[in-house]
Amino acid sequence: MAITSIKNLKEFSTNNDRFEGAHTLCPGCAHSMIVRELMNCTDDNLVIASNTGCLEVSTAVYPFTSWDTSWIHIGFENAPSAISGAEAMHKARKKKGTLKDGEAPVKFVAFGGDGSTYDIGFQWLSGAMERGHDFTYICLDNENYANTGGQRSSATPIGAHTSTAQAGTHSYGKKQKKKDIVSIMAAHGAPYVAQLAPNKWKAMAKGFQKALETEGPCFINTVSPCCTEWKFEPKDTIGITDLATDTLMFPMYEIIDGHELNILYRPKNILKVEDYLGAQGRYKHLFKPENKHVIELIQKNIDDDWAMLQRREEARV
Amino acid sequence: MQDLKLKAAEKRGVHQLGGDNLVGWDEVTQGIVLTSFEGDATDVAHKKAEERSYSDFNSYTATVASWRVMKPVFNIDVCIDCQNCWVWCPDSSILSRDKQMLGIDYDHCKGCEVCVEVCPTNPKSLLMFSEYEDLGDALASWPEKKKKEKK
Amino acid sequence: MAVEFEVNEREVWDGNYAASQAMRQADVDVMAAYPITPSTPIVENYGAYVANGYVDGEFVMVESEHAAMSACIGASAAGGRVATATSSQGFALMVETLYQASGMRLPIVLNVVNRALASPLNVRGDHADMYLGRDSGWIQFGAFNAQEAYDLALCAFKVAENHAVRLPVMIHQDGFITSHTAQNVYPLSNEDAIKFVGEIVPVDDMLDFSRPVTYGAQTEEDWHFEHKAKQHKALMDSMSIIDDVFAEFKKVSGREYKRVESYDMEDAEVCVIGLGTTVESARVAAKEMRKEGVKAGVVAIRCFRPFPYEEVREALRNCKSIAVTDRSSPGGAMGAFYNEVAAAMMTSQSRPLVTNYIYGLGGRDISIENLKTIFREQKANADAGYITTDIQQFTNLRGPKLGFCKTERN
Repeated sequence: MAITSIKNLKEFSTNNDRFEGAHTLCPGCAHSMIVRELMNCTDDNLVIASNTGCLEVSTAVYPFTSWDTSWIHIGFENAPSAISGAEAMHKARKKKGTLKDGEAPVKFVAFGGDGSTYDIGFQWLSGAMERGHDFTYICLDNENYANTGGQRSSATPIGAHTSTAQAGTHSYGKKQKKKDIVSIMAAHGAPYVAQLAPNKWKAMAKGFQKALETEGPCFINTVSPCCTEWKFEPKDTIGITDLATDTLMFPMYEIIDGHELNILYRPKNILKVEDYLGAQGRYKHLFKPENKHVIELIQKNIDDDWAMLQRREEARV
Repeated sequence: MQDLKLKAAEKRGVHQLGGDNLVGWDEVTQGIVLTSFEGDATDVAHKKAEERSYSDFNSYTATVASWRVMKPVFNIDVCIDCQNCWVWCPDSSILSRDKQMLGIDYDHCKGCEVCVEVCPTNPKSLLMFSEYEDLGDALASWPEKKKKEKK
Repeated sequence: MAVEFEVNEREVWDGNYAASQAMRQADVDVMAAYPITPSTPIVENYGAYVANGYVDGEFVMVESEHAAMSACIGASAAGGRVATATSSQGFALMVETLYQASGMRLPIVLNVVNRALASPLNVRGDHADMYLGRDSGWIQFGAFNAQEAYDLALCAFKVAENHAVRLPVMIHQDGFITSHTAQNVYPLSNEDAIKFVGEIVPVDDMLDFSRPVTYGAQTEEDWHFEHKAKQHKALMDSMSIIDDVFAEFKKVSGREYKRVESYDMEDAEVCVIGLGTTVESARVAAKEMRKEGVKAGVVAIRCFRPFPYEEVREALRNCKSIAVTDRSSPGGAMGAFYNEVAAAMMTSQSRPLVTNYIYGLGGRDISIENLKTIFREQKANADAGYITTDIQQFTNLRGPKLGFCKTERN
C-alpha cells in the first residue's frame, strides 16, 4: 500500500494529476474537484467505472479522454456491476497468473451522480455492496439530474426548485425529504461509509484513502455543488460548500463496519440554514412569506439530524 | 511569471475539442477504445505532466481556452504557495511544481474564478482580468494591500 | 489448479448440462449470472463446478440479468474469458447491455435458452428472445440439440475472441425441448477442448497498467455512424472466420457445421426453412413427403446473425416454393425470418414463391402432420406457380384459419 502523504496542502500538491484538463464539465463544477482529489490521494493503479452523468459525458467525448487510468462507462445504472466484473476478473487472472503484472497494486473505484446512485442505479449498487467486492463507490451528489437539465432526484432536498418539482403559485418545490443513502449503505454491512465535502479537502482525502485501503465495498457520498442548477456563480463553489457544511445541511461523518459513527467536522459557529438557502437561486422562492414554514421545517430537520448523529456517535451505534 | 514554458507545453492544448481532423475512418478503433498515453505508461502517477508521453486522445492535448471571457492572472510576488488554488481548481490548471505555484495553464483554464475566490493573500495573488488584457498591464495595475475594515 | 472433471467418450447430457460443460472446459475466467427458467441449470451446474473446485475462475451471482451482462462487460474489458446464460425476460432485461457489449467489441459468450416473452407469462420455448437480440450486433448461433449446444459453445469462444472479430456471440437452444432433454453427447476430452478453444489474448486490457484505456466514450453525429458502420462490417466479415472455426472444429471432432445446413435439398422442389428443434421434425416430415412423391427438403439456419444471405440463396436456388417458419409473434408484420429469406430470394434468378408460417408460440408443439400440411401447401403453390394460400399463416392454432396478405402474382 503506497499512499502519498497528505500532511498538508503543500505536500499534497506535489502529487501529479491523473485527471486531465480540457474535459467539458461546467466552469466551477465540484465534480472535478472531487475526482481530482480521489485520484491524487493515491499512487496505486486505478480501474474506474462511471455511471452515465455529467462526469461521464464530459470526460470521454470521442476522440478525447481525460482519464490517465483505465476507465469504463457502460450505462446510467451499472457502473457498480462493471467494477464488480473487473474486480472479479482481476482475482481470476491473478490466481491464474495471466496478468501482465500480477503484483501491481490496483484499486477499483466507481463514480455515480445522485441520480444514478439514489435512483436508477440503486439496485446495481446494492447488489455490488452486498456481494462484497473490493471497491469504493463515490457518489457525486449534486442533488438533481444536472446532466439532463436539472430534474428532481430522490437526493433533492425538501423545498428545492427543480424542473420536475417546480416552485410556483401552488408549490414550494420538492415536497419529499432527501433519501438517507449513507445509512442505507451502512446497513449493507459495508466496512466503511462516509459523507464528505470538497471544501474540507483534508478530511475528504483522508476519507478517500481510508476507503481505498479498506478491503471490501466502501461507499462515500460527497456533496458536489452545481452552479448551473443550484444557481450560484461558478466562483462560489467552495463558498457554497462551506455554507453546506457550516449550516450542517451536509454534515460530514463516517460509519465503520455499520456501527461506529464518527463525526468528521464540527462547525465552530453553526450557521442558520437561511444563509445556505439564500445563496442559491433554487431556494429563492422559500423567502416569500407563504413559504416561511418550509425554511422552518428544513431547519428543524437539520437540528434533528444533527442531534441524532451526535447521539449515535456517543452511543457508538 | 505566467504560463511557464514547461516542456509539456509542446503537447498541451494543441487540439481543438471536436477533433474532426484528429482521426479518420482508419483510426476508428475497435470498440471506440481510447488510449491515454503513447508507449509504456507504467508508473505514470509518479511522473509530472512534462515527463509523460500523452497520446493525441488525451484531453491534456486539447484546449478549452475559447470558453473563457475573463482570465485569472497570477502574481508570484504576493503568492504564499498555500496551494488552495491547486486543490480546488476543477480544471487541473494550476501549475504547481515542488510545492510552488508557478502559473496557470491557459489551455485548460475555463475562467471559473474559483482560484481567485479561495486565494487567502492580501491583496490576492490571483485576480480576474479581461481575456484580452495584457499580462504586464494586469500586473502593473495590481491593487495594494487592503487595510482591515473597521467595524 | 482446478480439480480434473472426468468426461466419458459418450455422455448423456441435456442441452443445459452440455452448455455448462463447454463453459467449464473453456476455462472461463468470470461468469456473472442470474438464474431464469429454463437456462437456470447452466448457471447451477457451473455453481457446482465452482463449489467442488472443477474451475479456477470467478463465479459472480448478481442481482439481475442486466447486472449480469454489465458485470460480464466489466470483466471482459479487464481482459479475460467471460460467459453467462439467460432466457426470455432475463434476456429482455439484458437488452440495453447487449448493445453496449457489442459496441465495445467485447468477446462475451452468452448461452440463450430460448423462451417466449410475456405477456402472457410463459416459460416454454419460442424464439421471441432470440429475435429481440437480432439487431444487437451479436453473432447468433442456433443449436438444435444438446450435442450442438456443446459444440457451438466451444466454437463461440474461438470466433468471439478472434482479433479480427472481437464481437460477442450467443448460442441459442430451444427451451425445454433441447435444454431439458437428455441425449447422447460426445464431448471432446478436457485437453482437446481447451486446446481447440485456445488461450484468450486480451486486446485493450483494463488491467494492463502500462497502457491505460478508456472504454465507453461518447460519440455524437460526428463519430457514432463510423463506429457503428465498422461494427457492422466486422459482423459481416466474421462469416469467413466462422467458416474457418467450423472447419477446425471438424478436424478435432469429426462433426461438420455450416452456417446454412441443407437436408435432402439436391432435387427439392419445395422446402421448409427453419431454426431450432423444428429443423429435426421437418427433416422427418420431408422424408415422409418423399414417400408421397413430393420432392421435399429442409434448410436450417445455423448462424442467424450475421445472416447468410448468399448461402440461403444458394441453398434455395432450385426450389419452387419455400415455407419460412417463424416461432415468434410477428407483431404486425411478416415474421422476421421470413423477411430475411424473402429479401435473399428477391435477388435470386429464380425468385421462388416464399410463404410464412407462424408456429409454436409459447412452446406449442408442431407435429409432423402440421409440417406435412405445410409441405403439401408448398407443393400446391409450386404446381400453380403462385401462392395459393395467405402469404402468412398461423399453424396449429385454435379457431378458424388465421392468415394475412395475398400475392399479386398469378
